[in-house]
Amino acid sequence: MRWRKLGQIFDPTEHALPNGCAEFAQSPQALVFDDFVRIYFSTRARDAGGKYLSHVAFVDMKKNLRDVLRVSEKAVIPLGDLGCFDEHGIFPMNVLRHRGAVYGYTSGWSRRVSVSVETAIGLAVSRDGGITFERLGSGPIVAASLQEPYLVGDAFVKVVGEQFHMWYIFGTGWKRFSDGAPPDRTYKIGHASSRDGVSWQKEEAQQIIPDRLGPDESQALPTVIEIDQRLHMFFCYRQSFDFRKNRDRGYRIGHACSDDRVSWTRDDARPALDGTSGAWDSDMQCYPHVFECDGQVHLLYNGNEFGRRGFGLAVLDR
Amino acid sequence: MFRWKKLGLLFGPRQVTDRPWLKEFAQAPAVLLFDDFVRVYFSCRPPPDANGQYVSRSAFVDLNRANLFEVRGISERPILPLGGLGEFDEFGTYPVSVIRHGNEVRAYYAGWTRCESVPFNVAIGLAISTDGGETFAKAGRGPVISYSPDEPFVMSGPKIRRFGDGWYRWYIAGRKWKVVGGRPEPVYKIRLATSADGWRWTKVNRDLIVSRLEADEAQASPDVFEAGGRYHMFFCYRFSDDYRGKARGYRIGYAWSTNLLDWTRDDAQGGIDVSEAGWDSEMVSYPHVFTLDGKTYLAYLGNQVGRHGFGLAVRE
Repeated sequence: MRWRKLGQIFDPTEHALPNGCAEFAQSPQALVFDDFVRIYFSTRARDAGGKYLSHVAFVDMKKNLRDVLRVSEKAVIPLGDLGCFDEHGIFPMNVLRHRGAVYGYTSGWSRRVSVSVETAIGLAVSRDGGITFERLGSGPIVAASLQEPYLVGDAFVKVVGEQFHMWYIFGTGWKRFSDGAPPDRTYKIGHASSRDGVSWQKEEAQQIIPDRLGPDESQALPTVIEIDQRLHMFFCYRQSFDFRKNRDRGYRIGHACSDDRVSWTRDDARPALDGTSGAWDSDMQCYPHVFECDGQVHLLYNGNEFGRRGFGLAVLDR
Repeated sequence: MFRWKKLGLLFGPRQVTDRPWLKEFAQAPAVLLFDDFVRVYFSCRPPPDANGQYVSRSAFVDLNRANLFEVRGISERPILPLGGLGEFDEFGTYPVSVIRHGNEVRAYYAGWTRCESVPFNVAIGLAISTDGGETFAKAGRGPVISYSPDEPFVMSGPKIRRFGDGWYRWYIAGRKWKVVGGRPEPVYKIRLATSADGWRWTKVNRDLIVSRLEADEAQASPDVFEAGGRYHMFFCYRFSDDYRGKARGYRIGYAWSTNLLDWTRDDAQGGIDVSEAGWDSEMVSYPHVFTLDGKTYLAYLGNQVGRHGFGLAVRE
């Protein structure tokens, strides 16, 4: 697969975003309309204590994916109430159309004491074309379970026939990798299925993408697309510690493919997408999202610093 | 109408001096019957840490079946380890409900973690004993039933029962955190999940017991048994704020049902209230009813939700 990179297409610092968010446009996720593309992303404000809160916003772009039409004027979905799973952030939100509505699968963040955070997957539905979303309830639809004790998140949902499929991540452990360091987490990609998109059966701790960096590899944000009768998954992966500033250990885009939706062959020994030296994605490539628009396959992704300065685009050359 | 004769404090932490993890409290009694003794599981606490925070452990005391006020033994160590870093039961395992299944004893328990914006969250785990309830191994490192849209947090207080072929687990689920004087206080309601095997659970997903004190009444310890062709539930309830004293603290409530799903609340029929004086003069809570050698007993907590231990009453 050859990707033609078109560079950075959205910088959040050039726009006035709701909730006082100033930086970060992470995990772009596309919803294609007749004459424009709405791209949801998570951006950040700081709370009274100086800690980050992630909020969902969107930008509408012309189908050339170059010209910005507008950014969301109000909150797309409020954060969760006190003590709820999504009280301290929603990042990311995966969107799809279903039966006249837009479903938003959220990853909610809530802060912990002994470790930094717990996450779970929620569902919110939009009946105004994706401008605002309303939760099903104040709790999650997919959360920690017997063999997946924590950090369930990063849902990507696809409806095939009558079946909903979800690719998501589950945590496998918190670990202090050096004395005095805060605990770091490791997570892997799994799969769940559903008849209605609400009630899900997880495969329970079945890692579907083999590790390339060993057991301390963290895999995140799966996105799946069918191209020429074959399923392709893009995701990002990194070492589980010293990954924030050390470019050799940070996020890269991974790739795997499958003919039966069950077994996946990983083939990213040569990177699916390279960073460009000196550019916005020179040190890191992460949070991929693949979608089709007007017969072309597009890859949205974040670059350096986990998307502090926005996201960019690549197009599949076929 | 139930009528109970109070028999007094049955077991408390002051009776134990050589187990540092059993220093304070004896909460949430749950009984497992043996031929010649009665094992009562309960939860207790080592002294609080430097920040005044507790962890809860769970253990058991064996009582002489012929004389429940005679202690025959106390578990050498807690029956469950605390969870690992970031796990749902890292900071407590409380309470525990046990049931025999073949050669196993299964324990459903609540695990506690600590949060930043609210003091804690709670989820329900499963552990299995193959040595008659002496030691338990966790079935997994995560909870056996997950949070869901209408049960967003504080899933606690499991009570496991079998009726016919079905497994029933009553529990509580948090409804909201109510900020009272700057402090978040949990409001929770009694819920039910059913299962064919004790592993995969289906939530009934509604409140079983109407609230009586106020909309934000907190309800706990739903303890169900069958007698006289009916199902009976004893539970406890309190106001949502200022509940740590006598006026608004825990009382024991009662409801009945013919199908395990639809319950008629009638607290006056429960027949147990606070005493004029003594260890249960300010509150009564966490009821557990069991039948032994033709008599029906009610184990329960008194003032400060079990700081002094649990007591016993016998049905007249």
